[in-house]
Amino acid sequence: MGAKREEFDVCVIGTGAGGGVMIQELAAAGFRVVALQRGPFLQPAQFDDDELRTVIRDQVFSPDQVETYRYDEGSPTETGRFNLTASCVGGTMTHWAGWSWRFRPDDFRVLSSEGPVAGASLADWPITYDELEPFYERAEWEFGVSGDAAGNPFAAPRKRGYPNPAHPGRTASARVALGARQLGYHPFPTPMAINSRPYGGRPECAYGGACQQYGCQIGAKATTLSVSIPKALATRRLDLRPNAMAREITLGKDGRARSVRYLDDRRTEHEVFARHVVVAGNAIGTPHLLLMSRSGSFPHGLANASGLVGRNLTFHHFPAVNFTIDEPALSFTALESHLALDDLHASDAKRGFIRGGVVAEINMLVKQPLTFALVNLPGYPAKRAWGRELKDFLRKFPRAVGVAGILEDLPMEENRVDLDPSVTDRHGLPAPRITHRQHANDLAMNRWFTERLLGIARAAGALESWIPRVPGLLLTDERSAAKGSAHFHGTCRMGDDAKRSVVDRWCRSHDVENLWIVDGSVFPTAGGYNPTLTILANAYRVADHFVREAKRQSL
Amino acid sequence: MSSDVSRRELIVGGAVSGGALWLVLTLPRPLAARAAQASSRPLVLGADEWKTVEAITGRIIPVDHEPGAVEAGCVNFIDKALAHEDAALRPVYRAGLAGVEAVSRKRFAEPFVKLGAEQQDEVLVALESGHADGWPAGGDGIPPEQFFAAVRAHTIIGFLADPKYGGNRDYAGWRVVGYPGGGHHLGGYSPAQMTGKEKITAVWGKEV
Repeated sequence: MGAKREEFDVCVIGTGAGGGVMIQELAAAGFRVVALQRGPFLQPAQFDDDELRTVIRDQVFSPDQVETYRYDEGSPTETGRFNLTASCVGGTMTHWAGWSWRFRPDDFRVLSSEGPVAGASLADWPITYDELEPFYERAEWEFGVSGDAAGNPFAAPRKRGYPNPAHPGRTASARVALGARQLGYHPFPTPMAINSRPYGGRPECAYGGACQQYGCQIGAKATTLSVSIPKALATRRLDLRPNAMAREITLGKDGRARSVRYLDDRRTEHEVFARHVVVAGNAIGTPHLLLMSRSGSFPHGLANASGLVGRNLTFHHFPAVNFTIDEPALSFTALESHLALDDLHASDAKRGFIRGGVVAEINMLVKQPLTFALVNLPGYPAKRAWGRELKDFLRKFPRAVGVAGILEDLPMEENRVDLDPSVTDRHGLPAPRITHRQHANDLAMNRWFTERLLGIARAAGALESWIPRVPGLLLTDERSAAKGSAHFHGTCRMGDDAKRSVVDRWCRSHDVENLWIVDGSVFPTAGGYNPTLTILANAYRVADHFVREAKRQSL
Repeated sequence: MSSDVSRRELIVGGAVSGGALWLVLTLPRPLAARAAQASSRPLVLGADEWKTVEAITGRIIPVDHEPGAVEAGCVNFIDKALAHEDAALRPVYRAGLAGVEAVSRKRFAEPFVKLGAEQQDEVLVALESGHADGWPAGGDGIPPEQFFAAVRAHTIIGFLADPKYGGNRDYAGWRVVGYPGGGHHLGGYSPAQMTGKEKITAVWGKEV
C-alpha cells in the first residue's frame, strides 16, 4: 500500500454504461474522480474481425473470468463462463451492438398493471417514464442514436427526435420487412447508437459486420470507451485505473463507505479513499463486490440489510429462428440489427402469459462462419452433423437470415448471484455463483414468440427455417434455463421501501448514505427491450441529482 | 480450480451440445497463430497421428467439387491448437487416436488410413454413437463420442477460422461458404453492397 493517503471526491467501480456516464458527468461537474476497472484499457487498434480469437475463444474481452452456475439450490454447480461481459475499460458496452430503446411507460409499473403473479417477485419502479424521459433524450444525443423517431407506432412518447437518421438496410432486413408487412406488422429501422453520419467527433459506420461481440475499430459505435471516458480524461479530473479488481468496500466508524480495496494484476492490494462510492459493476459484478464486503454491521454483505443484494436476477430470454432465402442475404455486413417490430410487445394475458418484448432481424448467429457452423447445425434437420450433410449446410451461409425476440423474463427472488463457496478466480476471490431458472411465464412466452418468428420467416419467403441451439443462452425445452446472458438486471433493486429494495429512487443505498449503485442491478423488472439506453439514461438522472445535491451541500 | 481441466471439459462438452461459443476458458494470447506462422510441420502430433487425424478431418468435411478439410490443412490447425490454446485436449487425442486404430483393426483388420471412405465413415459413425466395438476399455476413460466431438469441432474451426491459425489454407473454407473475409479488414461495405446492388470483392480476390 502507498504511504501517501489520497482522498478523492468519488470512486467509481466499473466504467460501462452506468459507471462511464457517472464518471463523465461528475468529472465535468468538477469532482475529482478515481475509476477502477478490473480489465485492461484496450485501444481500437487492438480490435479486429477475428472470430476465433474474439467470439469462440474469447481472448479479448474477459479471458480469465470464472463463474459458476446452478439451476436451483438443489442442483449441481458447474464452472464456466456464462455471461457475455467485457472486463476492459468501457465494460460490456465495449462489445455491445448499439440497440437503443426507451422503455415504455408500463415497463415501470409491472406490478400495478399486472397484479401479483405466483412465483414471481413483480415490482413497480419508484420512478416513472416521464421522470426518465429528459434523460433518455440526453443519452440519445450524447451517444448519437440513429433511428426513425416516427417509425415505431408502439413506442413511448418522445419530445425530440433522434440526432441521426436511420441506417440503410441490407437484403436480410428488407426481406424481413416484406414478410412482416404481409402479416400486418409495422416494421421500422432498429434504433442504434452507431453513427449513420459523422457525429460527436466520431466517424460514420463502415458497415464491416464484425460489430456485436466486437470492439469498434473506428469508433463509429458509441460506447463509454469512445464517448464518456475521453471526455472525462480531458477534464484532467479523472484518475483511471485499469487492471484494478475491487475486492472490498470498507466502512468507517460513522457508517459511511470509506475506501475501496482492489487487487492489481499481480494480486497486490491497493486502497483508495473517497467521499462517495459508486458501484457500477453490472448486475453480476455489483452484488459480487457487495457480498464480499462484509463487516460487523453488515455480516451478510454491504448495504444488504434487506437481504435482497444479489436477488431477483433477470436475464431476458431470446427465442430465435434462422432461415434461408433465395438470394444472398448479406447478413455478414453492417449492424447486428437493421429492422424491428413492436406489434407483439404489449402484455395480453389472453396469450397465456403476461408481458412481451420486441422482435427484430438479427445477425448474431449468422454473421460469421464459425458461429454459423457451430450453433445452427444442431437445430437443423440434417441426418448427420458431418460429412456431405455438414458441407452442404455450410454452403447455406450466404443466404441465412436471423430473427429473434428480446423478451421480458419475470423476476424471482431465488434467481440470484452470490459467492461460490469453493471456486475462486485468478485473484483468489470467490467466483460469482449464478442460480437461475425460468418462470413458467417465460417458457410460455418463449414458445408463443417462436411460433410467430417462424411465421415471419415463412412470410419473408424462407426456403427452410430452423431453431438454433446455444445451450445456456437460448431456451429449448421445459427444463431449460438461461445460465447467462448479455443483459443482466435486478440484483440490487431500487424502490421506496428499504425492506423491499436495496437502493432508493436516486440509486443511493438505503443503508449506507454515500454508497450509490448505478447499473442494470437497480432495475426492479427487466423490460422487453435491450437495457443499455435505460442504464445510460438512469445514470444521467442520478448524476444530475448528485450534482444538484452537492451544490446544495447536502452530500 | 484447474483451468486446464475445465477447458477440456468445456470444449468437449460444448462440442457435444453444439455451442462452444463463449463457454470456453482459454489462455490469454493467440499463441497457435504464431506457431502456425512459424511452421506447418507437426509440433504435437506424431507422423502417423498426423495422417490419421488428417483422414478423419477429410471425412468430416469431405472434398467434392470444392476443397474439403484435407485441402484446407485442418490437421495443421489442430496440431497448432494442441500445441497451445487447446493443449488440455492432448490426452483426448492421444487416447482417441489409439482407440480409432483399435476399432479400425477390430472391424476391418487394417489401420484407419488404409480404409476406403465408406469403411472410414463406418468407424466414425460407431465413434459418434459411443458404441465402438474394440475401443479400449478403461484406458484414460475418454469415451469415443467425446473424441469424435472434439475432432469434429476442431475440423470446423480449422476450416473456417482465419488462415493465420494454420487451417483454411488459401481461404479454402471461406471460398466454400462464400464468406468474403473480415469486413473491416476489407474496408467496410457500402449501402449498395449491403443490398446486393454492387458486388463485394473477397479477400481471396473473387467477387461474391
